[in-house]
Amino acid sequence: MPPAGIWIDGLVQSCIYMTMAFGMVLVFSILGILNWAHGQFYMLGGFVVYYAVTAAGIPFPLSLLISGVIVGGLGMVVEKVIIERLTGPGYGLLAVTAATMALIFFFEGAAGMAFGLMAKGMATVLPGVLDMSSFSISYQKIAVIAFTLIIMVAMYIVLNRTKIGKAIRATAQQPDAASLYGVSVGRVSLIVMGIGCALAAMAGGIMGPVQSVDPFMGRIPMIMSLLAIVIGGLGSLTGAIAGGIILGLLNSVIAYKISYFSEVVLFVMVIAILLIRPQGLFGTGAK
Amino acid sequence: MKKWYNVLAILVTAVIVLGMFATACAQKPAPAQPTGPITINIGLPMPLSGTASPWGEIPTPFREAWVQVFNKEGFQVNGQTYNVKLIQEDDENSAEGGSAAAKQLIYGDKCKFFAGHWSWNFSAVAAVTNPAKVIFLTRTGSPDATPASGGGAYDPKTMPYVVFGTPSQEEYRANIFALVEAFPNYKKIGILDSSVGKGAPTWTDLFARLDKAGIRWHDEYFAPGTTDFSPIITRFKDEGCDIVFVAGWIGEFMTFLKQRYEMGYKDMKVGCTGPFVSMDVYNAVVGADAVQGAIGGYYAPWEFKKTKVDPKYIAQCQEAMKIAAQTTGAPFEYTGEMPWVPSHILILTQAMQKAGSVDDPDAIMQAIRGGTFDTTVGKWTMSGAQTYGSPVVFGTAGCLCSIQGGKEVYLSEHPMDPIP
Amino acid sequence: MIIGEHYFANRNLIPKVVIGALVVLLAAFPLITTDVVTLSTLISSGIWAIAAMGFTLVLRTGQFSMGQAAFMAIGGYVSAILTVRLGIPYWPSFLAAGVISGLIALMIGLIVLRAGGISFSIITIAFGEIVRIVALNWGSVTKGATGIVTRAPAPITIGNFEINFAAGVVPYYYFMFFLVIVSGLFFWQIDRTRIGGTFRSVAANPILAEHLGVHLMWYRVIAFTVAGVFTGLAGAYYVTFLGVMNPLIFDLWKSVQIMMMTIVGGWSSIVGGPIIGAAVLYSLGNYLSRLPIPNIQYLVFGAVVVLVLLFLPKGTGLVDLWGKFWRKVFREVEEYELPGESSQEDE
Repeated sequence: MPPAGIWIDGLVQSCIYMTMAFGMVLVFSILGILNWAHGQFYMLGGFVVYYAVTAAGIPFPLSLLISGVIVGGLGMVVEKVIIERLTGPGYGLLAVTAATMALIFFFEGAAGMAFGLMAKGMATVLPGVLDMSSFSISYQKIAVIAFTLIIMVAMYIVLNRTKIGKAIRATAQQPDAASLYGVSVGRVSLIVMGIGCALAAMAGGIMGPVQSVDPFMGRIPMIMSLLAIVIGGLGSLTGAIAGGIILGLLNSVIAYKISYFSEVVLFVMVIAILLIRPQGLFGTGAK
Repeated sequence: MKKWYNVLAILVTAVIVLGMFATACAQKPAPAQPTGPITINIGLPMPLSGTASPWGEIPTPFREAWVQVFNKEGFQVNGQTYNVKLIQEDDENSAEGGSAAAKQLIYGDKCKFFAGHWSWNFSAVAAVTNPAKVIFLTRTGSPDATPASGGGAYDPKTMPYVVFGTPSQEEYRANIFALVEAFPNYKKIGILDSSVGKGAPTWTDLFARLDKAGIRWHDEYFAPGTTDFSPIITRFKDEGCDIVFVAGWIGEFMTFLKQRYEMGYKDMKVGCTGPFVSMDVYNAVVGADAVQGAIGGYYAPWEFKKTKVDPKYIAQCQEAMKIAAQTTGAPFEYTGEMPWVPSHILILTQAMQKAGSVDDPDAIMQAIRGGTFDTTVGKWTMSGAQTYGSPVVFGTAGCLCSIQGGKEVYLSEHPMDPIP
Repeated sequence: MIIGEHYFANRNLIPKVVIGALVVLLAAFPLITTDVVTLSTLISSGIWAIAAMGFTLVLRTGQFSMGQAAFMAIGGYVSAILTVRLGIPYWPSFLAAGVISGLIALMIGLIVLRAGGISFSIITIAFGEIVRIVALNWGSVTKGATGIVTRAPAPITIGNFEINFAAGVVPYYYFMFFLVIVSGLFFWQIDRTRIGGTFRSVAANPILAEHLGVHLMWYRVIAFTVAGVFTGLAGAYYVTFLGVMNPLIFDLWKSVQIMMMTIVGGWSSIVGGPIIGAAVLYSLGNYLSRLPIPNIQYLVFGAVVVLVLLFLPKGTGLVDLWGKFWRKVFREVEEYELPGESSQEDE
């Protein structure tokens, strides 16, 4: 039985994967595409928080919100300018897939040129460690867990209790019917993209103090959120949460047991899921 | 009739475009040399973009400053004074990039020598330099840059123009011995590398030597890109390791350092292969508390206790540090470049003087093999005295420091044993 | 020759003459310049062009394979292991690399092509990663991270004339040229046959795809296998050109770049598009690396792809500009498009 520390750190990883996967699934269910540049918004969010905290002295929680707004806005711009033009009747998935992948390189290059390649740290934010009897956990990691809980609650409220949330859910299930009821699919797409990217950005920001911020930090979270979505089921929000939790804990425990081979295990598992049960745990089965 | 004019126009345009492409990629003729010292171009393929580039970029002000200081005097061969010019090309830390950078340096920038190379593309670069008879000063320590007899890819017979000016592999060994000397009451040394390095000749060789010396050790590997080291930290703890030596990139070392502290293992000492980049970065990423006691390579030649360095080189290095500080506008503390470009260039120029030639690669290599050279990291005798038979490896001081307060403080030193 | 008849039977001779002239120019290129850097850039572009052609073929059956670089790795390792570790001469090893790569593609394809769309793409990503990890850890065979140092193929003597690969890049250039021509002709011919026509219709019309049912699955497997063969050959050749084979050379991001070369070049033409895309993007990337601005190559690379997607009409790439250009020149409604495709002038 792995010690408590392994489970706790797995949980912290789960929180991030969960948040990222949630954002990705939101975008997927409304826009019908996988945003391969999702990890880049994570990275950009991290940088915005870094500069807000260190250069502008803005308190951390406010910086998180600011990065959510700014990067979410950027996401909306990307949606309007690029994604909207490349999707629609007659377009396959190729153009928009290629475009979002190209954006990976674009944002990495831009961040590298603008911010430099050296890792930037925020260890002074929420310093200190909480020592329990059998394990210790830093306040920064506690913040990650708290942040994720808040986000999940917020998302629940938005999606189930607000008008826009209803519009989003309606569009996800039946875009044609929804537009008959006066929901502008274009507007919903824009908002959903904004929310998805904002989630990614805040995830990057909250992880900043835990690790560091550098231009290439978006690659792994994107791949991990992709795996989480596969486990949970493409297109299912509950699946994203479940997938994130399973992936994070599994990754930690397997790494503890067989160290670096955890990579292979995860990839083989994903292939098996896609071949045997492509709808994952909670997916709707439609492709 | 008009159609044919159009076609002709197309053909002419195509020829012009291709011609432009060819000339754009082709070499530019060198400007006329002013009278005075003759400049020798020295190529440096290294990562300027991508994930490994911080380690390439940070020393750049110091490298250029050192070359500036060196050129004040230059060096003399057969009565003619020479200067050196360092030309960097981005090799993206990959085999393809290394091959392209090497070709650009040799055929585009007209370099006959490479120095200061450390990135992970030894084989690809050597495949370009050896047929062109370009002397390639690099380091041991990446998995392919070790002799084939030990599992690496280097073959002295097919790669006769390779010099290992910085013996990183031997240095890892020296560092571990230095650690043991610094902490004689250690329980077990943990060694961590990414899975890319697992099974590499560097480690198999090291583990054999550690066993022979009776040193207790345990190795672990992480998947590249890992950001959560808690499983591995726990594994080290389970094995009873109280000192962990991390052979990863700076980011991974910093993350490990921070996470082990946060997990409550404040007494676990962590060391890294390679020097500390900048205290500011460490304090910012790891936190001033967690960073205390971190151990790293230490290349300040004025602090070596067991290896003597010529005071002239010490003075040059310190002057270069000052110039670098002026260029960057901030104090420049990074000493990690000492065993690289400065040391390699000193080896090369001293060999040229011994051989009496600046452009006969065979004569220069003859002078390098088995020769004794005095550099910024001490005076060592190069191995490989047998012509084209054995690897050509320089020496190193194997010096360590630890972080106390905000400063690097000398910890211990284990000079390398000479290689036959 | 059948190909020749079809080629010249088309009325629009002039664009084809120009293409022919360019081909001749490229063939004679080493006579114009022996600059190593230029020739090396062209050689690498040619190799990636072949990989892009394979990607395009698979794309024609409606699938995005994000694991093509893995087949280059397989081809590379097979040829490296056979030549260096087993001492087999280069050319048989080269062909064996293609065959084995194709066999693996066949096996994988039979299992995996059933899953459609995004699932297939994700599986190919995972496949690519697994190949990399296996190569890294199966040290006894692949020598892990150390890699295998490859040798130039042995000199070939034809009469009094000796082709010595170890002497420089020119022989590599000619063989690459030959390989690209052969691959191009092969892919072009597939495109011309019924299979190719079916592929194209399927790519454009998913309902037809469903009606084809099990036949579609076979077409997909065939396309994937053929792509595997040629991509494996390309990898095997690249590895001897580069001088070394290790697990890090062909990774996920290379697969992404292959896709981008196809997109930028245009996938309406299975030969011209990949060649143009590979040449443009590779040369551009190389040129940008030489500029003293770090990381600009990532930025421009991404920007170029996005701009091509946004500003060129739907589904076209640079190769389609060629067709448009000739239509402007002749001011005729007549199409210079792929034979067999109906005219669709309303962009």
